[in-house]
Amino acid sequence: MRQLFEYHPVIGYRFIPGVKARVPHEGGGYLMRANGSGFRCRHEFTPTKAPGVQRILLFGDSFTAGEGVSDGQRYGDRLETMIPGIEVFNFGLPGTGTDQHYLAYQEYAAGLEYDALVLGVLVENILRVKARYRIYQNDQGDEVIYAKPYFELDHGRLVLRQSPPPRKPLTEAELPPEERESVDRGGRYHTLRRVVKRLGLRDLAQRLTHYQPYPEYNDPMDPAWLVMQAILTQWIGGQDRPVLLVPIPFYQYVEQTSDPAAYQERFREVAAATGCSLHDPLPDLWRHSQEARRGFRFTRDPHLTAAGHQALAESLAPALSRLLEGVEAGG
Amino acid sequence: MSATVLGLSAFYHDSAAALVQDGEIIAAAQEERFSRKKHDPRFPARALNYCLEEGFLDPAELDAIVFYDNPLLTWDRVLKNCLQAGESAWEQFNQACRSVLGIKVWVRDYIRAALGSLGRADRVLFTEHHLAHAASAFYPSPFEAAAILTLDGVGEWETTTLGLGRDRTLELSQVIHYPHSLGLLYSAFTYFCGFKVNSGEYKLMGLAPYGEPRYYRTIRDHLIDVKPDGSFRLNLDYFGYLDSNYMTNAAFHDLFGGPPRQPESFITRRERDLAASVQQVLEEVVVLLARHLKRETGAPNLVMAGGVALNCVANGKLWREGIFEGLWVQPASGDAGGALGAALLGAHIYLDQPRRRNPNGRDGQKGSYLGPAYQPAEVIAFLERHQYPYERISDGEVRLRRIAQAIAEGKVVGYFAGRMEFGPRALGARSILGDARNPEMQSRMNLKIKFRESFRPFAPSVLAEEAGNYFDLDVESPYMLLVAPVREARRLPVDAAAYAQAEDLRTIINQARSDIPAVTHVDYSARVQTVHPADNPDYHGLLRAFKDLTGCGVIINTSFNVRGEPIVCSPQDAYRCFRRTQMDLLVLEDCLLWQQDQPPFADTEDWKTAYELD
Repeated sequence: MRQLFEYHPVIGYRFIPGVKARVPHEGGGYLMRANGSGFRCRHEFTPTKAPGVQRILLFGDSFTAGEGVSDGQRYGDRLETMIPGIEVFNFGLPGTGTDQHYLAYQEYAAGLEYDALVLGVLVENILRVKARYRIYQNDQGDEVIYAKPYFELDHGRLVLRQSPPPRKPLTEAELPPEERESVDRGGRYHTLRRVVKRLGLRDLAQRLTHYQPYPEYNDPMDPAWLVMQAILTQWIGGQDRPVLLVPIPFYQYVEQTSDPAAYQERFREVAAATGCSLHDPLPDLWRHSQEARRGFRFTRDPHLTAAGHQALAESLAPALSRLLEGVEAGG
Repeated sequence: MSATVLGLSAFYHDSAAALVQDGEIIAAAQEERFSRKKHDPRFPARALNYCLEEGFLDPAELDAIVFYDNPLLTWDRVLKNCLQAGESAWEQFNQACRSVLGIKVWVRDYIRAALGSLGRADRVLFTEHHLAHAASAFYPSPFEAAAILTLDGVGEWETTTLGLGRDRTLELSQVIHYPHSLGLLYSAFTYFCGFKVNSGEYKLMGLAPYGEPRYYRTIRDHLIDVKPDGSFRLNLDYFGYLDSNYMTNAAFHDLFGGPPRQPESFITRRERDLAASVQQVLEEVVVLLARHLKRETGAPNLVMAGGVALNCVANGKLWREGIFEGLWVQPASGDAGGALGAALLGAHIYLDQPRRRNPNGRDGQKGSYLGPAYQPAEVIAFLERHQYPYERISDGEVRLRRIAQAIAEGKVVGYFAGRMEFGPRALGARSILGDARNPEMQSRMNLKIKFRESFRPFAPSVLAEEAGNYFDLDVESPYMLLVAPVREARRLPVDAAAYAQAEDLRTIINQARSDIPAVTHVDYSARVQTVHPADNPDYHGLLRAFKDLTGCGVIINTSFNVRGEPIVCSPQDAYRCFRRTQMDLLVLEDCLLWQQDQPPFADTEDWKTAYELD
C-alpha cells in the first residue's frame, strides 16, 4: 500500500503531489490521483480559467475527496458531467475538519480565478473542528495520534493554534494527560461503538436509541459550534463571489435513525447571517427508497458509494446551476 | 477495437497478476513483493490491485480476466495419480483435495471479492498452464515466428511442450506428460541436496560448477531414459512424488549413497558432484529437445518458458550450440509468468488483438521493468515522515557519478530506481551493487549483506556495448538468463591441485579467477546481464559513470533482499533491508542515504527467523 499523504505545515497534511494509487477497499478498491498541489483533483490548480469555463472551488473532507470510489464517480466529478461548461477544483482532503479546509483555501485557492465556492461540510466535521489531535493508522497499521492545526475563539476572534503542527506522531501514552479529551475519536462512546460495530449491531442500536451523534449542534452557544460558526462566517464573509453552503448528512440522517433538526437549524443560521446560499440535500435524499439510501454507503465503511455520490450530485446540480446563473463565464 | 486483459496465476507457487492493453504489456508483478512472503502462492490480490493501479483502470473496464491454468484438469491428474498409486498416496490425496477443491475451483469468487466485478464480460476465462507459459515466451519475444519449448515440474498433465508460434497464433504440437518431468527430476536432486523444492533449484545450479559429473552415468542408467529426439521417461521406482510427500524414496537414497543432506548442514563432495551430474543431464536433454524442435519446425528462433528455462547455465549451453539464430527466454519463466501468458492469450487468441512487435527490433517485455515505481515526491514523503537523513541530488549525471564513486571505493550500494522487475532477477531497479574487481566483495556481500551460503556467485551487469570485452557472449542477455564464459584474457591461473582435493568449498571460493573476481564463478563462467540504454537508461548511465571512473564496465548486481526475503518493492522495504544489513549507501530514486548518518533502527521483527530458507 502506497503512502498517500505527506506533512503540510499549514493544513497538517495533504496528498503527496502527483501520487497515483489504487486503494484496496471493501467496495473492490478505487483509483485516485493527486494533482501537483497535493489534492485529489483531476485538474491542476492553474490560476487562470479557460475561456467560457465556470470554475467551482469545492472544499470538504473524505466525502468530497471520494474515499471508497474512483475519481470520476465523486459528486464533484458528477457535477461536471451534469452542468455543461463547469470545472470543479476539488480540494477535498480526507480526515480533515472545516478549520483545515479554510486553511487550505487560504494556502492554495485565494489567488485562483473562480466563479463560485462550494463548502461541502460533512456534519461530523464539527468533531474535527473541536479536536486538536486525530487518530490515524501508520504504515505498520498501528494507531498513532497526529496533531492538527485548530482555531480557538479569543474574544470572538479566531486565533490559529498548533500551527505548524508537530510532524512526529504520538502514541496514546505520549499524549499529555490534559490533551486526552482533545483527540477526535470519531464521536462519543468510543469503546461502546467499537463493540457494537464488531457485533454487527450498529444500525439496530442507533435506531433503537435514537442516537444523536453530534450533540454539539443542539445548542447555538456550544463552544464547538461557535468555532465552526466563526470559521464559516469569516470564510464566507470574505467572499465577493457566490457561496453555496452544503451540510453533507452522515448516514444516520440519510437513513433517518437520527434527527437532523439541530444541525439543519445551525446551518440555516449561518446562511442567514452571511447571506450565502444554503443547499440541504437531505430532503432530496429522503425521496429515495430506504433500500436505495442504504446503498448510498458501503456495507461497513460509512463513506458514500458511487450511488451515494450520484444522488448527492443530482441534489446539488440544480442549486449550483441557479447559483451560477448570472455569473458570467470568465475568460 | 481496444482490449484490456488481466491475467492471473495463483495457488501453486509465485502467484502473480499481469495487465495487457491492446497487446502491449502494461504491468506485471508477483504477489510476494507486496505480501513480503517469498513465493507467495495465495490469491494475488495485491498484485492485481497494482496492475489496475498502473493501468488506472476500474475492474469494470476489463474486457477479459484470464486464469493461467485449468483447475479441473489439475484435479483430474491428481485424482488419477492417487488412484493409480493406491493406498500409499492417501496422505497426498488428502492434501490435494484440500488444495484443489478448497481453493482452486473458487477462482471466480476470489476475483469478485477482490475487485467487486468480473469485468465487462462478467466471467473468468481459464487457459492451460503450458499454453500460458508458451504465450509468455512467444508473444513478448522479438520474433515474428519461433519454435517454442516449455519445461517445468508439472502443469495440469503436461511437463514439457513443443510447438511453434507465428504472428499471433500458437500451436503446441508435442507434449510429455506427468509424471515424466525434467523439472521434477531436477527438483528431486534439489531436495536430496538439502535445498527447498520450487525455490532452491538455482542453488543447485550454482553448486554444480564445484563438482564433477561423477553420477551422470548413474542418473542416465537408472533414473531417466532419454531418446535421440530429447523425449524422456523417468524410472518412477526412484521417486517419491507419486505416492508420498517426498521427492525421492529409499531406492533413490540407496543409489546415491545414503539419505538426503540436511538443510544448512555442511555441503560435501557428494552434493557438489550430484549437482554437476544432474545439471549435465538437464543440459543434454534441453539441447536434444531444441535440435528436435529445429528439425520439426524449421523455425530460425527459439523461445522458452517454464521453471526449467530459468536454468541459465543450460540456456547458455544451448545458445553456444548454435542450433537457432535467436533465443529468447521469458524472464518470469516460473508460474508468475503464467499470469502474463494468460493475459496475452486473452488479448491475442480470445479477443483477436494483433500482436504488437517493438519497431526497434527489441522485445516487448520492456526490460521486464513492469512493476511499481515510486516518484521522487513519494520517496521524499516517506523519508520526511520518518525523519531519515538523506541528500537529494536531482541532477542525474552528478548523482550517478557519486554512486559510481562509492562503488569504486568498495562501498555496497542498495539501488532502488524506477519500476520494479517482474521475475526472479533484479535487473538494476531493485539491486544491491558492488565492485566486481574487488576480490573481497563476494564474501563480504554474501556474509554481511545477504546472510547466505558463500558458494553462490554474484552476477555481473555489464554495458551491453562492452559485453564482448569481458565475456564470450555474442548476444544480448538483458534478463540475466544466459551464462557465458569470462574471456580467456581476463582469467587468472588457479591452484588446480588444491581445487581437486578440496572438501571445503571455501578453499575454492576464495581463489580469485579473473580481474573481475567477484562475478567469476569457479568454472570461469558468469551469469551475465547486458544493460542496454533502451531498456534502462538510468542503470546504463550508472555503469557508464563507473566505466568512466575506473575503466571497468562491469559491476556486481545482486537482488535487493536478504536471504529468504522477497526482493524489495517499496521505499519502506528498501530502507528496512538497508538497515538490517551492512550496506553502506542506499539510493532511493534521487535521494542518497548513508548508513552512518541514520538514526538507531528499531526492528519490529526477528527477520532472520521470519524468512524461510530456500
